[in-house]
Amino acid sequence: MSVLARSVGNAFRNKVRTAAVVAVLAVAIGLALAMLVANQAVAAKVQELNASVGTVLTVNPAGGQGFEGGGEPLTAEQAATAAAVPNVSAVVGTQSLRLRNASEAAAQAASGTGAGPGGWQGGPGGQAAASLTTSLTAAIDAGTLGGRNQAVNGTTGTATQPDRSLPVTATGIGAEVDTTGKVLTITDGTGLGDYTAESSSALLGTTLAEKNSLTVGSTFTITDQTYTVAGLFDAGTTFGNNAVYVTLPTAQTLAGLPGELASMIVTVDSLENVASTKTALETALGTDKADVTQGQNLETALSSLGSVKNISLIAFIAALGTAGLIILLIMVMLVRERRREIGVLKAIGAPNRTIGLQFVLEALVLAALGSAVGAAIASFASGGIASALISTNSTSTTAAPTTGRGAAMAGAAWGPGLPGGGTFPRGEAGPFGGAAQLLTSVTASASPGVIAAGIGSVFGVAIIGALVPALLTARIRPIEVLRGE
Amino acid sequence: MIEVKNLVRTFNSGDRTIKPVNDVSFELGQGTLASIVGKSGSGKSTLLSLLGALDKPTSGDVVVNGVSLASMPDAKLTEYRRRDIGFVFQQFNLIPNLSAVDNVMLPMEFAGIRKAARLQRAKELLVQVQLDPDKHARRINRLSGGEQQRVAIARALANEPKLILADEPTGNLDEQTGDHIIELLSSLSRDHNTTILVVTHDRALANKTDRRFRLQQGNLTEEPVHRPVVSASA
Ligand SMILES: Nc1ncnc2c1ncn2[C@@H]1O[C@H](COP(=O)(O)OP(=O)(O)OP(=O)(O)O)[C@@H](O)[C@H]1O
Ligand SMILES: [Mg+2]
Repeated sequence: MSVLARSVGNAFRNKVRTAAVVAVLAVAIGLALAMLVANQAVAAKVQELNASVGTVLTVNPAGGQGFEGGGEPLTAEQAATAAAVPNVSAVVGTQSLRLRNASEAAAQAASGTGAGPGGWQGGPGGQAAASLTTSLTAAIDAGTLGGRNQAVNGTTGTATQPDRSLPVTATGIGAEVDTTGKVLTITDGTGLGDYTAESSSALLGTTLAEKNSLTVGSTFTITDQTYTVAGLFDAGTTFGNNAVYVTLPTAQTLAGLPGELASMIVTVDSLENVASTKTALETALGTDKADVTQGQNLETALSSLGSVKNISLIAFIAALGTAGLIILLIMVMLVRERRREIGVLKAIGAPNRTIGLQFVLEALVLAALGSAVGAAIASFASGGIASALISTNSTSTTAAPTTGRGAAMAGAAWGPGLPGGGTFPRGEAGPFGGAAQLLTSVTASASPGVIAAGIGSVFGVAIIGALVPALLTARIRPIEVLRGE
Repeated sequence: MIEVKNLVRTFNSGDRTIKPVNDVSFELGQGTLASIVGKSGSGKSTLLSLLGALDKPTSGDVVVNGVSLASMPDAKLTEYRRRDIGFVFQQFNLIPNLSAVDNVMLPMEFAGIRKAARLQRAKELLVQVQLDPDKHARRINRLSGGEQQRVAIARALANEPKLILADEPTGNLDEQTGDHIIELLSSLSRDHNTTILVVTHDRALANKTDRRFRLQQGNLTEEPVHRPVVSASA
């Protein structure tokens, strides 16, 4: 019989009570662990998003924020001005186009529904983008997303709408980067060569190419002009891959807006300089002319995730504290109950530390049992808890459709290159699909490391909770043995 | 070896002050087997608790081998209880969810004796107090009162104490078993030079001790022992 064996034995002395205590502890510990898992998952996602945003600033025409259109377009001179700002390492202009499948457009025009729902026929107040026809079929069906977004957008969707697919984004880029400023991942073929000259080459997203059975060297048309697929890229998201990149001058010509830029992607030399460079850019370009945003409006998504992170952290601490409190109260009760027995141990010469250790170990046995059951609870519940936290949060964000908060999130997620010029009407499938994609990609998996850290903190709290009652045992005098029960 | 000097213990119960131990002084030489008799409530258990350092006197002192208990810090008193004292409680005070062997092993565990050694000694002691070997592993709360009393005696002997304080050690035993315990205690005082102080109502036991004290309303007096002739020649 060692101290440990005695502690384990004592923990099971009153089996019914032990089961009850373990059950209550398991709920608290399970909740704590689930919250920790959620917190870690969100923290990882935030870090990933921050890293992806990195040192990129986006410049849109003033007033163009939120796809509401308006403002003067950006020009090549402004790009030069931006490039001259200290710490700016690169400026890439973009011009965006919206491509509609030629036959679908014709069918829709004939059925007369095309202009009805505000879905994607030019947003309310948006500067109607020149919609160009293409031989390409989008890789994403309008499906439920399109319908849902029309509803969210506040316009009445017609029940008799023919099936149709979403538009394809075509972006003219001045360098081999995507609309977030990230270098394109070319999976097949080559880049476009000189991005500052007109060419009839294009880069296609993998899913778009697959949908249209195109490979490197295949051709397709935009407004009856033939383009050759020079390469395929993988943007990593479904929406990002439903896109075409051409060179900037090509897009400008196609849009009929030579020299104009829909947006500029400004890369800053280091993360520390991003904030100051943002201010410098605003001064150089004039806030009445250009909106400089960091991370392509990821802030909204980040703050949404940030609040999930905070909520889960607070809940973790609260649940952990509750577990500690349960242990404290139970152990205080046990010490009171075993007062006489503690007196006996002292009367036969047990040192205070042995008795205190015995009670701390007993608390740890309870904590271990609670952790085992709690970890099982957490592994079942954490995914649900994380997604519940996130969906609640994203709903509250997207449910406020005032000038493009929801849309801003969308931009963050799937293609921030949609510039302010109203190229994309708000309420497009993209925004919501993108937001959902962003947030559901936070997968709360109970990694062993996180669970171990959580259980470690449970034991820490259990020791703290047991310490007070253990120290109380030191005050019990051996003469207690002579007192009645 | 044990010297009791003007020991007083008072309790305040309500507005009354009671003195179960009132200016008690005596000395016991090493190896003496002594008994204390007295009416219920006369203060016998209270006196024993003071000698065993379970309680602190209101005034007076107990000096053991020249060392005063009053001057000892708590940690030393714990060590004194563990090493020098074997206490048999009137109400046994065994740990109910442990087995008989585990209870006897406890003081040895606190004294840092190796597990194998303490298990062996615990079994030997339980044999000495005549507890059935098949009851050694039985939990205390499944033993009879007399069986528990013998486990309590075995536990008191565990660390080979120099002083055994036994509060009614034969109170729950039949005559035959009681006689055996008396024989065990007297052999310890005789052969191991253990000082033993027993509180008893048992005339047979009181008459087999070397000295006999009577406690009356907190006052201790020594009485002559009427040793049976048979025993005296032994
Ligand atoms: N903690 C206490 N507070 C108040 N009074 C106490 C306390 N402990 C003991 N007493 C009282 O002191 C007196 C002596 O008690 P003690 O237990 O020493 O008697 P005893 O001689 O052992 O009796 P018995 O033979 O019945 O065991 C009793 O009147 C008892 O009520
Ligand atoms: Mg008594």
